[in-house]
Amino acid sequence: MRVGFVGKGGAGKSSVAGTFARLLAGTGERVLALDSDPMPGLAFSLGVDQSDAGLPDSAVEDYEHDGRTAYRLRSGLSGTAAVEQYAARTRDGVYFLQLGKAHGPRWSNTRQHFGFQRVLDDLPGDGWSVVGDLPGGTRQPFLTWGRYAATFLVVVEPTPASLLTGRRLAGLTGMPQSPRVLAIANKVREPADAELVAERTGLEVLGAVPYDPALGEADRLGRAVLDVDPDAPSVAAVRSLVQALQSREESA
Amino acid sequence: MKIAVVGKGGSGKTTTSAVLARTFARSGASTLALDCDSNPNLGISLGLGEDATEQLVSVRDAVDAGEQEHASTPDDLLERFGVDAPDGVRLAVVTAIQNPQPGCP
Repeated sequence: MRVGFVGKGGAGKSSVAGTFARLLAGTGERVLALDSDPMPGLAFSLGVDQSDAGLPDSAVEDYEHDGRTAYRLRSGLSGTAAVEQYAARTRDGVYFLQLGKAHGPRWSNTRQHFGFQRVLDDLPGDGWSVVGDLPGGTRQPFLTWGRYAATFLVVVEPTPASLLTGRRLAGLTGMPQSPRVLAIANKVREPADAELVAERTGLEVLGAVPYDPALGEADRLGRAVLDVDPDAPSVAAVRSLVQALQSREESA
Repeated sequence: MKIAVVGKGGSGKTTTSAVLARTFARSGASTLALDCDSNPNLGISLGLGEDATEQLVSVRDAVDAGEQEHASTPDDLLERFGVDAPDGVRLAVVTAIQNPQPGCP
């Protein structure tokens, strides 16, 4: 399974994606979770420390290309090897690789950016599932940062700004890899909310996740809802999402 | 006075910007609300409505389409491609990314 989570900022991408990755690993799959947001996010829901589980500068080398400086993984380092060497492991066995995080205005993340891109070009293949968490909005998704995704899951709240973003992201079907694009209706308070998401985004809804105070409480604690309250309604809903996508993949 | 509102996704940047803009406008200041998000939705928070917000043409798209030849100054661009939002706020969208584009790192 290769999935990319997209949506408006604050729609709940990271919360859902991290829980999704861990529950997917719980079904026996080997899962790589990718966070390409330069701001922290996915680590919380994966339940790992806010570390730089990114590529060290030494993993990336520069070279001259058409008279300009370009970057690639250091000689002999494949994308798969980079994942095995530099990804953090969560307690559920999920491999976790993130883009180097911003360290203030003078910090350059050029090497991490290019290195991360090269890993995306050479992700581990057979036997791996990939769950990617992209930054909010349309920029990275439409600039091919989710090019590994066979399925984009657009996380949409039943609010006008989130619906408008979902409508724009429906255009991801035009990406070169011809991905499947489905919506997740998030923070749903009544059944009509999921219908609204389908109607206003034009996307098929894979499933709905209820508005869940347990998630807000976990956020305040800076912890994963799956660790604080594994029986929370939102966790059960994400478990259903995993099953729904798995059965789609099996029947495809 | 020139203010930029920044923060994490979902923390309330757009809502804060819209309330600031309308408050300044109500107090008599001529106010420009500039949506610099590549996924622009400030119009919704200003009260312009979802459909009108979706139909806004970004200044970047206008310039790319050659409008700079007809609107040669920033004020001209705001005149031609900005819209009036409630309380007299002038709204302009800088850029919108809403189609697949060649990758950039």
